[in-house]
Amino acid sequence: MKRSVCINLFTWLILIPLTLFLGTRLTGRWYYLTSTLVIIEAMLPFFFSFETRKPQARELVTIAVLCALAVASRVVVLIPNFKPTTAIIMLSGIALGPEAGFVTGAVTAFASNFFFSQGPWTPWQMMGYGFGGFFAGVIFAKRRAWRNPAGLALFGFFTILLVVGPLLDCCTLFTTGSRLSWSYAAAVFIAGFPYNLQHALACGATMLVFGKPLLAKLDRLIVKYGMMDARKEG
Amino acid sequence: MRSDAFSKYHPLTNFVFFLGAIGFAVVIQHPAYIGASCVGGALYLLLLKGRKCRNMLLGMLPLVVLMAAWNPLFNTYGEHVLFTVFGRPYTLEALCYGMAIAGIFAAMMLWFSCYSAVLTSDKFICLFGKLIPALSLLIVMVLRMIPNLVRRGKQILDARKSIGKGVGENNSLKQKLHGGMQVLSALTDWALEGSIVTADSMRARGYGTARPTSFRLYHMTLQDWALLAWMVLLAALVIAAGGTGAEYTPQIDIPRPGWGFIAYCLYLMIPSLLHGKEAVQWAVSISRI
Repeated sequence: MKRSVCINLFTWLILIPLTLFLGTRLTGRWYYLTSTLVIIEAMLPFFFSFETRKPQARELVTIAVLCALAVASRVVVLIPNFKPTTAIIMLSGIALGPEAGFVTGAVTAFASNFFFSQGPWTPWQMMGYGFGGFFAGVIFAKRRAWRNPAGLALFGFFTILLVVGPLLDCCTLFTTGSRLSWSYAAAVFIAGFPYNLQHALACGATMLVFGKPLLAKLDRLIVKYGMMDARKEG
Repeated sequence: MRSDAFSKYHPLTNFVFFLGAIGFAVVIQHPAYIGASCVGGALYLLLLKGRKCRNMLLGMLPLVVLMAAWNPLFNTYGEHVLFTVFGRPYTLEALCYGMAIAGIFAAMMLWFSCYSAVLTSDKFICLFGKLIPALSLLIVMVLRMIPNLVRRGKQILDARKSIGKGVGENNSLKQKLHGGMQVLSALTDWALEGSIVTADSMRARGYGTARPTSFRLYHMTLQDWALLAWMVLLAALVIAAGGTGAEYTPQIDIPRPGWGFIAYCLYLMIPSLLHGKEAVQWAVSISRI
């Protein structure tokens, strides 16, 4: 526990400020490289704590199934451009805890890009999806009373619309602009809004219909096979 | 994918090359360098994928043109005003800068496509498997499960269709959503129950008791080290030569490319030259038969 706190402090207090400091010294489009580096560095503490925890086989396979399910779910729902991916990531964060939620999101984004294409957006997508899973875990993991369909749906809708979507738009902003300006940022965010809205609606709808069933399935799995006990033991 | 000489090198050599190619493409704003990077990336992509990438290359063109044209709308610095849009000046310098940004974007996309084709998932795992064992095992499992679950999902869809519960084009959005969620639910059960069997099997076979081994063995040979050293030397020359900075706004200021540019071109041509060399050798040995 203590080591992961150290890594966290090191990343947030030394590594990221140092990157920002050195990054702004670069001439030209400094924000381009700097922002991507900061995004990657911000993910390091999560990955480090996951590795040092030495996850049990059952937890590992369950996370893997949820990641694969999040990607494969796009094929199953026959509505064009309907992506339940982020909803499934959030639900796994709720059932398995914030840390596992982050790993689910980041690995989903990374693995699905092996099928599409890796690109400058990969770290941003990993961060965005990972944050979705993490944040859902923080809010709902320990509060069973809050897990009603409407609450889950609203949470999913607004998290995508206000946090995850704009984060992905930031990638567009940094990779396509010649000069950072408020007007350009506004243009990018306005252009991205319809897509984010669509994404948020898909996430909210999935949470509304599928949220409770999936959580029940995961809870049943955890109780039936004693997954949480295994995690506590080591 | 066709046989490619560069892909047969050690993953580390491949990875370092792409790190350099994409890294340089991102930070260098000199138009000659950007052009070289685009040409190098497009050439290697063509060699790797042949005609299959033609659509991607053609599809990228309008995007690049659009990006070059719309950048001056938000960047009004520059001396030569071409015309005004919404009362804001549209300058020649900003247009040139927009073209440079679009070129950088194109170069980055091209090299990332090459990266995706060369650095397959097993090579990635070989590179990072020791550093992040749990995460790379997770990635391998996910990569295997995705096609598996897609196939199972289609089976469930077909099965539902055959008992008259399928959803088609003429169903309402709500029916489609509910139908989709029912399939998803069935798929989840199927996958999760199977996961416990997999996990128990992993434990029985000794997961976590020793260091994981990888599917394919890669060894750094003398050839790999030589190519790596050559790459590092060229990259160092590019950095040492300098002259890669170029200013567009408010005034265009582009230094003449020097010998650093030659080093950069040589660096970018490494995979294409290796590919060409192998093709020539193959043709020669075929003609001898």
